[in-house]
Amino acid sequence: MKTPWQVMTGGDWLIVICLLGISLSGIAWLATAPGGTRVVVTSGGQTVFSAPLDLPQSVDLDGPLGPTHLVIDDQGVRITDSPCRAKICISMGPARHTGDLLACVPNRILVRIDSPAGGEEPYDLLSR
Amino acid sequence: MPWNRPLIIGLLMVLLALTWWRLQPEEKEIRRSRLMMGTVVEIMAGGLKTSKLETAVDAAFAEISRLDKLLSSYHLDSDVSRLSQSDGGGKVAAETAEVLALGLDVAQQSGGAFDMTLGRLKSLWHFDEEASSVPERGAIAAALLGVGPAALALDGLEVYKQTPDLEIDLGGIAKGYAVDRAIAVLKEHGITSAAVNAGGDMYLLGQRPKRPWRIGIQHPRQKETVLETVQVRDQAVVTSGDYERFFELDGIRYHHIFDPQTGFPARGCQSVTIIADSVALGDALATAVFVKGPEAGLQLLAGYPRAEGLIVAADGSLYSSPGWAAYRVAP
Amino acid sequence: MTCSAVDPVKLTHARRQVFLAMFIAIAVTLHVLETLLPSPVPWLRLGLANIMTLAALYLYGGRAAWTVSLARVGVGALLLGRLFSPGFWLAAAGAIVATSAMIIVYRVAGRRLSPIGVSAIGAAGHALGQILAARLLVIQHAAIWQIFPLFLLFTIFSGILTGWLAAGLLEQLRQHPAFQPVADAEDSKAAEG
Repeated sequence: MKTPWQVMTGGDWLIVICLLGISLSGIAWLATAPGGTRVVVTSGGQTVFSAPLDLPQSVDLDGPLGPTHLVIDDQGVRITDSPCRAKICISMGPARHTGDLLACVPNRILVRIDSPAGGEEPYDLLSR
Repeated sequence: MPWNRPLIIGLLMVLLALTWWRLQPEEKEIRRSRLMMGTVVEIMAGGLKTSKLETAVDAAFAEISRLDKLLSSYHLDSDVSRLSQSDGGGKVAAETAEVLALGLDVAQQSGGAFDMTLGRLKSLWHFDEEASSVPERGAIAAALLGVGPAALALDGLEVYKQTPDLEIDLGGIAKGYAVDRAIAVLKEHGITSAAVNAGGDMYLLGQRPKRPWRIGIQHPRQKETVLETVQVRDQAVVTSGDYERFFELDGIRYHHIFDPQTGFPARGCQSVTIIADSVALGDALATAVFVKGPEAGLQLLAGYPRAEGLIVAADGSLYSSPGWAAYRVAP
Repeated sequence: MTCSAVDPVKLTHARRQVFLAMFIAIAVTLHVLETLLPSPVPWLRLGLANIMTLAALYLYGGRAAWTVSLARVGVGALLLGRLFSPGFWLAAAGAIVATSAMIIVYRVAGRRLSPIGVSAIGAAGHALGQILAARLLVIQHAAIWQIFPLFLLFTIFSGILTGWLAAGLLEQLRQHPAFQPVADAEDSKAAEG
């Protein structure tokens, strides 16, 4: 049996090269393109959880007082349950924009929305 | 062939230019948040070397942590707690003295609207616990005894209390001071572009890597809306609002910015934003203006020519100091 | 060897049906065997069954290729117990896109391409069809496109492999009188007779 190279015609090579070009440039583009907006949760300075903002899910994050329940859905990310006393974290509502922060201070859970460099927000920080 | 040479040289030059452009070191920016001082502290720093940025930011957080232990009423052996416990006052660290000096100045200028001796009053209103209630009048009156700008005197590193059971609370200025010190630490590490934000009290150093800092000001009643956006450089932006910590009882909102005259939450404003040279000053002025209300507040600001303010009055109308418009970029 | 009393056209037609059935059987076997082999990603296979689709295309034309590829998907799913499962729809979508692409390319390019080129197009078509179906049915999320370039890269090589094997198969088959077009069979008959 002939080797593949003996069988392949000029047309074959053209097709293979075109397909290779498409796939390689696709890979290169993906490698350099910014990832989506992400939800990053830290506790005591360590990142304990990270997920894309656009994939609905819910998760329990463990802190010294117990689990803080986080929900990501189309409203954004919010805390729905936490073992703290004042439940301020729950009343903070959903966070959606880059730079938004949620925190359960007693349980040492800090949630922030990160976006890749180049997120064009109307403002860098919010004074509240 | 001779006519090819210019073309080749031209192409080489283009190639060289592209390579040089590609090799330019890129400005990086890091963003780190930590839970400190009972709130979220966020530091953004821009520069060429990420390792240098990380070191500087860690040092800045360490400084904030150190100052928190010195100035917070929640730490039992902070300067503040010691002063509150002792009868006559005591000796404090240089930083504490610096904060007190600044605070006393604003306290006097504002006729007592900004007050650092409301420790007992704040304990009465205990905002940090679940079941909040309105304290009774007698308790409030007792907590206000001896309160006022004259209640404290500062001589070098010595603090004198006029009344033995006076309790110090630096809540309206300590965070701001910590941010100022954090910025100083960043500058010591050679950082020229940074932002330190402690729960909405922030300082903007230099510019962002690509453009000036733009700060949105939260609308006091509409959570998702920005009231205005300002552009600042090497300045502090501080907002005090009645929506940050509050509870509602019988339809009345009780928030955490007290009027030292009544012992109840100040009713003149919904929020106050101050742009100033330091966050400590901005913090103190924001509280003072909030307590005084829009008109008296603007008069107070007039005495601080390098400070500007935006006030949302209790009825929602907007007031701003004359120089404020220069900072506004939107709407 | 061949009965001269039988109508050559009917003979050819009968041969075609029998061989296509065999091709389908072989394709299904190859497909099922492939699923038994270990693979880093469960649904990432070499697609050796495509050899038979190519053989059908080259020997009997476009409709035959459709027959073999669609039947392979259906029977394969039946055997594996995956009929109408999400995986089935993915495979079906892949087969549809791949077969369409292969037929178009074959008709347009003809002799300028060997089975390797057509197979590469077919493999790419399989990848595209499966990703499209996955995007619509399984993962309603644009993020699925992120695996497409890598997937495509893999299929290019598996396409070359199956195309090469198909070329070898075709070369062997064409030497046998049973696979030659009617006119040739007539000639060889005349030569014998």
